Amino acid sequence: MSQSNEMTVGQAFMGGIWTEIPVLRLMLGLCPTLAVTTSVKSGLTMGLCVIFVLVCSNFVVSIMRNLLKPHLRIMMFTLAIATFVTIADMYLKAFLPDMSEKLGAYIPLIIVNCIIIARAESCAAKNGPIVSIVDGLAMGLGFTMVLCFLASIREVLATGCISFSDSAVLTILNPIDKGGWFTPWRGMVMPVGAFITLGLMLGAVNQLNRKKM
Amino acid sequence: MSNSEKQNPILFFLRESWLLMVSAVFFGGLLALTDAAWSPKVKQNATGKFADSAQNILAAAKTFEPLAEPLMLTVAKGKQAAADVRKGLDDSGACVGWVFVAEGSGFADKIKLVVAVDAAFETMYGFSVLACSETPGFGDKITITDENSYQAQYRGAPVGEFTLVKVGDNKKIDNEIIAITGATVTSRAVVDIMNAYAVPLKEQLAQKGLLQ
Repeated sequence: MSQSNEMTVGQAFMGGIWTEIPVLRLMLGLCPTLAVTTSVKSGLTMGLCVIFVLVCSNFVVSIMRNLLKPHLRIMMFTLAIATFVTIADMYLKAFLPDMSEKLGAYIPLIIVNCIIIARAESCAAKNGPIVSIVDGLAMGLGFTMVLCFLASIREVLATGCISFSDSAVLTILNPIDKGGWFTPWRGMVMPVGAFITLGLMLGAVNQLNRKKM
Repeated sequence: MSNSEKQNPILFFLRESWLLMVSAVFFGGLLALTDAAWSPKVKQNATGKFADSAQNILAAAKTFEPLAEPLMLTVAKGKQAAADVRKGLDDSGACVGWVFVAEGSGFADKIKLVVAVDAAFETMYGFSVLACSETPGFGDKITITDENSYQAQYRGAPVGEFTLVKVGDNKKIDNEIIAITGATVTSRAVVDIMNAYAVPLKEQLAQKGLLQ
């Protein structure tokens, strides 16, 4: 494998958190971003699963990078990624069954999440384990931040509050059904809410980039 | 390819694919270990959820005894499947009702319910949702249990063919079910699930002489 694309730990970290933030800059991982951001809790769980899979698969690909043959590399990436996604799925089924049910097929579908295979190919297959782990962690964090931010906007506008559990509910806009003034925008939990919110976020990021240039 | 590999292609095959084979064994072993460690917990969760749901709708029952012989039902696309039917027994061992698991396609994914009926399979005690991925704020209203909810329309309803209507009095308990506004597909799915399970199960239990 070529070593020409080696990066430093700092570059890997900043790349994941901002300069190459997966959803907003690379436009990767959009399917789960739109599908699971109906609540902050779901977004956070999905984000943590992706962090686990990214860190583990990047590490495994990185330590075997010198043994990888070009025609087998995608198969090896998929094998490693599928294993860690299955472990994450089993963990949710065993210890967070309600969340596992809520996220449904989107956890197994992490296997085909482009962020993970893209990082294996563009970073882990060309860099050492430390850089690869930091890259996985930072990309996962960047993805999780976007998911949580998008989910918080959608959940607040759809219900007026953010629910962390049945007992821990943070009311932000007092909804009319609880004697408040805010009429919830139910459309925000529908796909249209996800598209509009993500579109506005992408527009804001593009505007920010234009100003910097 | 070296000369020795040209003479013996198996050597070439091993050289090219040994990493894939070793990795497959390693990752397969890792998954087997994980499954061995966590699958009892997954099974326990499923059993616990069923028991909690059944207990909620059939509070008089202390235990739920499965049938000795499973009842076969025709489910989606004409397939035959064994229905999970259990007899609810009180402290003295008397039958106080029946519970069964019923499932079918909803708007987003499968809907899985636990349904409770009385010992004679004449009246519904209601249902509880085991699995539902319906739209938050719309279809997922089938999980609400209060007295004005969609679920409440089934409590005390006679076991028979249910029909879905869009307007009506949801306090009136009969076989007409008022759809949830904005979630007609989910409402119809629940009605279809009930119709696919309740009457056929009643007939089979009656044929076996298990009804009181």
